[in-house]
Amino acid sequence: MKQTRRTFIATGAAATAALGMPTILRAQPSEYVIGASLPLTGPFATAGQLVAPAFTLAEKLINDEGGIGGTPIRFVTEDSGYIPQNALANYQRALATEGDALVAYFGDSTGFMKLVAPELTGDQARLMGSTSFASELANPATNPYQYLAGPSYQDQFDILLQNIKDAGGSNVAFIFSNTEFGRDPIEHGKMRAEELGIEVVLEESTKPQGADIPTHVTKLAQSGAEYAILQGYVTGVWPQLIGGARQFGLPTQFMGTFWGMEKLIADRVTAEAGPFLDGYQGVMPYRYFYDREDAPRYQLFAEAAKEMFAGTPLENYMSTWTLQTMCALEIAIKALRDTVEGGNEPTPDNLAAALSEITDWDTGGFFGGPVTMADNKIGTGRVYQYSTESGLFTPTSDWFTV
Amino acid sequence: MGEFIQFTLNGLMAGTIYALIAVGIVSVFKATKVVNFAHGYIIMFGAYFYFTFSVIVPGAEWAPDWLQSWEPAWMVAMKADLPMFSPMGAVLDWLSNLPRILLGLTGAVICNALLGLLIERTLMRPLIGQSTFAMIMITVGLISVMSGTKGLIWTADAEFVPHIAPNTPIRLNLFDTPIFLFGADLVNVAVALLLFGAIVAMVRYTKSGVAIRATAEDQSTAYSMGISVPRVFSRAWVLAATTGAIAGAILATRNGVSPSLGLFGFSVLAIVLMGGLDSYVGVFIAALTVGFLEAMAQWQFGGEFAEVVPYIAVLIVILIRPHGLFGQKEVERI
Repeated sequence: MKQTRRTFIATGAAATAALGMPTILRAQPSEYVIGASLPLTGPFATAGQLVAPAFTLAEKLINDEGGIGGTPIRFVTEDSGYIPQNALANYQRALATEGDALVAYFGDSTGFMKLVAPELTGDQARLMGSTSFASELANPATNPYQYLAGPSYQDQFDILLQNIKDAGGSNVAFIFSNTEFGRDPIEHGKMRAEELGIEVVLEESTKPQGADIPTHVTKLAQSGAEYAILQGYVTGVWPQLIGGARQFGLPTQFMGTFWGMEKLIADRVTAEAGPFLDGYQGVMPYRYFYDREDAPRYQLFAEAAKEMFAGTPLENYMSTWTLQTMCALEIAIKALRDTVEGGNEPTPDNLAAALSEITDWDTGGFFGGPVTMADNKIGTGRVYQYSTESGLFTPTSDWFTV
Repeated sequence: MGEFIQFTLNGLMAGTIYALIAVGIVSVFKATKVVNFAHGYIIMFGAYFYFTFSVIVPGAEWAPDWLQSWEPAWMVAMKADLPMFSPMGAVLDWLSNLPRILLGLTGAVICNALLGLLIERTLMRPLIGQSTFAMIMITVGLISVMSGTKGLIWTADAEFVPHIAPNTPIRLNLFDTPIFLFGADLVNVAVALLLFGAIVAMVRYTKSGVAIRATAEDQSTAYSMGISVPRVFSRAWVLAATTGAIAGAILATRNGVSPSLGLFGFSVLAIVLMGGLDSYVGVFIAALTVGFLEAMAQWQFGGEFAEVVPYIAVLIVILIRPHGLFGQKEVERI
């Protein structure tokens, strides 16, 4: 084709338009936004209200550190009442109001994460962390944008069962709430126990609240279990079960997973009902906040919290639930920074790619050492034991990575 | 065999508590012909009032120390020599908690009585003479109101409350199987049976009871015979609320205080329908049957089935006898 002045100008204009289009479509925002749904009311309001201030703290720290490649970050939180449909509506509202500036979202439940998963395509997709450790979510093939800020419940069972094996245990009871949360790791746990040569002598399903404690304790007593792993509870049932078993003088060693490992709950139970949680063990993905000698990131949080939350419970102690949220936010920020500093647009696909490339990352003390994001989760944790005398959970095992 | 006895006992003990809950629904129905769908939430309020007066108030800064934990020197000396969680330790723990347990029970009964009175005066009495259906619908609406109000007053966290009796463990060996019972459960059963018996006797043999029965038969005739029907209504609601307070306190000691206690009312409503809405005896038998079936399902099939199997039995009974096992058959004359 003959090149004339007219075709040259036309071709040049088209090329310029093509090159400039992405910039026009996805202009650099003046700020990045991370949205969140929190259960500020409803059954987990206590946890939600403890977690909410973490967003203020994280926003200040991240922006003080220069934001994301110089662009500040802003957090937008809304109440969900722990109702997945409300959280989904919050997410859709955040997409509509914030547009491309919304780069990531934090969900408040497994229910929400599963509900929103099919929606996360095209323009509707965003990088998404949550409070959930549901095993099903840790699957990049089906949930490429969703991640766990620690080990899945199945991983946590693996850690506990390995710990039982290492301690010479020969049998275990699984006691779980009859919810998705409770049932999540049970089948996997049975398989893992068999591999390790540990007999599962009881699988006991209970109501998530208001369970018939005497009947469950009776079944546990008759099973003769050396160990009992409790799964699927937050503030209720598990302390009553342990209390009932202790009153019967059962020697069973009780163990819990992440949501049954909060010091504030253990302290309150001790104050209200006596010292029966003494010796209770469980798996925790993170260090406790008071164990910050080797955790520079925690030290930074503590300094900021002293100033920002003076006179509130957060001034001196950050709950495990708050730490989980902080960790989920740190992961999102890490993926964002890696993407932007690598010269890429923070699109959901780029962020998901950055997420999967997180390897040997020094989190500043959340975990025992550098961690790797494998299958959109960090399969690390260790076993802690509660002492009613000190009111502290202290480690009884090394860090396990599964 | 030993395990069968164990779960039978567990089931019967749970059944007596269901019966105590059910007595409130029957009492209100007998006097007013209103099926109180909100009875579970009245029980939940009873549990939270018990929690307030046995945990929150004694723990307040202004409360005297002995209210939180009464520990005279002799008790401290005795406790020092005991191993942790010993049976005698359980008795001593109960004794040191006794002041707050008594305050809790008194507070719960009084507050729930006032609650029952408030509901009757403000929501039920204005509807006397109107359709019973409207009154029943009010109790349905009351569920949301009470559930929301609870959220405004108390937290949603599961909380501990002190047992109303020493929770001494009891171990037996039957047919080479160890049988485990909680001391507090046996006392709970005794309290539930006593209260149930007292209410049935009151309805049978006292003037107030006769007035309730007469009102249940025919309100207009009861009026014309000089019975104050509004007062009968009040008494029935207060009776339901006060027994609900005790039932709530017992449930709270067994299962912890949580918003889920409100849901017990629905399970018990099914039991009441099975026994017959106006029959104390029928309801008692139905409550024990459901308790037994729940325990058997829990033993043989696990927790998921325990919530289903008994209520299938309830449905079958209602299908065969729509007015319940011992309920009065209603004959409508046109």
